Amino acid sequence: MSLLSPFSWTVLLIVVLSLLGLPIGLSMIGGSVVYLVITGQDIGLTAEQLLQGLYNSYTLLAIPLFILAAELMNLGSLSDRLLGFCNALVGRFRGGLGHVNVVSALIFSGMSGSAIADAVGLGRLIIKMMTRDGRYSPSYAAALTAASATIGPIIPPSIPLVLYALISDTSIGFLFLGGVVPGLVMGLVLMVMNAVMARIRKFPTETPVPLRQLPAMTWRALPALMMPVVLLGGIYGGVMTPTEAAAMAALYALVISIVLYRSVSASGAYAALLNSARSMASVGLLIAGALVFNYVVTKEDIPKSVAVFMATFEFSAIGFLLLVNALLLVLGCLLEGGTVLLVIVPILIPAAKVLGIDMVHFGLVVTVNLMIGLLTPPYGLLLFVVANITGEPIRNIIRELLPFIAVLIAALAFLTFVPESVLWLPRQFGYKG
Amino acid sequence: MIGLLSWLRRRAENVLVLMMAVMFLAFILQVIFRYFLNLPVAWTDEVCVIAWVWGILWGAAFVTRNSEEIRFDIVYGMVPRRAKRVFTVTASTAIVVIMLISLPAALSYVRFMKVESTGSLRIRFDLLFSIYIAFVLSVIVRHGTVVYDAIRDRLVEDKPADRPAMDL
Repeated sequence: MSLLSPFSWTVLLIVVLSLLGLPIGLSMIGGSVVYLVITGQDIGLTAEQLLQGLYNSYTLLAIPLFILAAELMNLGSLSDRLLGFCNALVGRFRGGLGHVNVVSALIFSGMSGSAIADAVGLGRLIIKMMTRDGRYSPSYAAALTAASATIGPIIPPSIPLVLYALISDTSIGFLFLGGVVPGLVMGLVLMVMNAVMARIRKFPTETPVPLRQLPAMTWRALPALMMPVVLLGGIYGGVMTPTEAAAMAALYALVISIVLYRSVSASGAYAALLNSARSMASVGLLIAGALVFNYVVTKEDIPKSVAVFMATFEFSAIGFLLLVNALLLVLGCLLEGGTVLLVIVPILIPAAKVLGIDMVHFGLVVTVNLMIGLLTPPYGLLLFVVANITGEPIRNIIRELLPFIAVLIAALAFLTFVPESVLWLPRQFGYKG
Repeated sequence: MIGLLSWLRRRAENVLVLMMAVMFLAFILQVIFRYFLNLPVAWTDEVCVIAWVWGILWGAAFVTRNSEEIRFDIVYGMVPRRAKRVFTVTASTAIVVIMLISLPAALSYVRFMKVESTGSLRIRFDLLFSIYIAFVLSVIVRHGTVVYDAIRDRLVEDKPADRPAMDL
């Protein structure tokens, strides 16, 4: 691969166009057209790769459907009841609402596949609860909410893991299972940090809900609590594909909200459909760009070149993973998560395969990295969302966020060094890796 | 003119919502047919995938606002306004030229696909894929407009997006 090869020119053009501010999907499509022109191939291949690629990526349909499910859940009062239940459970401890925040995020993440959707829906409610009567500072509430929202796409279902399954050719089912333990670990470290903060800063406890009220609270929250069971039971019972499960999740949220809670208006349902469709269009354009660029990468046999290149460095698997962590944490500050996943990660996958790194393990390491990237400035989408909800300056939120980022990075290090933490559960379900 | 454009945009939104609703309903039907009635049907798969391809390209062509698209704006965000205008004119002119070059080949690919039809609904692929041509034309027109606006000192971010670009 020479420095002046058509491929190098193509990459250079894509980078320059993106830096100049052109949408990244368009930059990739444009770069690929130029590649075909300079290598004298049929330019129609761009259209062919893009259209056939989209037409054959059936599993990706889970993405708009999971977004739709989250939008519909946020319409109804599912989140409200879930918070009541979590408060009865953990509100009695010091820093109680902080724990409620993390526990409700853990449960909610079993229904939603998107960190942003978690922060926008559930996050808005819990921030309101935490800051009522000045119990917690808005910046602390915002920081903890942003941190706990990162669990959303780690515990299944998960939009980034669906994308990763596409680029790495790994089973979505096993990836989803691989996320359960890491998600719980992330929840645990956040609760520990919240407990420490509560002790130092004398955070209040909530009036304990009498334990005999717990069954009633559980009953009220049952429809919300059942959602992960329906979803994951459907997938692992072999009843549905993950994509169908996404559609069923959306249907479930809609039916529950209409029938049980009577809280969905026609205009609300329309807005939910429109929002999810708009997300589909903007992420879809990025996917389209990645599909076209992927043709160039395959044509040039880049995975093989990367493998040969990597061999000259004699990396160990763990050394490579640490390098990937460092690289993705830095890129996570600068780039939007979907871009890293669809543009950078495909280059890393062949190298990881050469080093014998398990693809499910690698997928979770990558995804946890991307989630931490949603918290880190200057480009941290979750940071923007919680700043928008609370009206706090981003600077204050970041100060409160630092200890939580630190424990999340510690959790990431644990997942990196102990592959079994990710792989144990999938193996119980027959994963051979 | 502005009134007509925003009216058209709202109708484009209606169509996008319809596609999303069709995709959702087709999935539900598929699950009902396959698991409750034990009658697997193939056409629902096809309806979903068609709604996906059309939803993305229709949405990207007619609904997504320029300010909502996923871009890398670290460098762009740091430079003064005059440089931003130069950046925008350069990048958007480049994509207009590239898309114009690719248009004839894209047209001939889509027309060539008339020989094939989808598996169960027998929809001709040239009709199905024609949305790509609409998408390419929209990129040319939209980025042509972006260039024109940037020369007259109007930039994309002057009209901020009302929502984050993407859910992850």
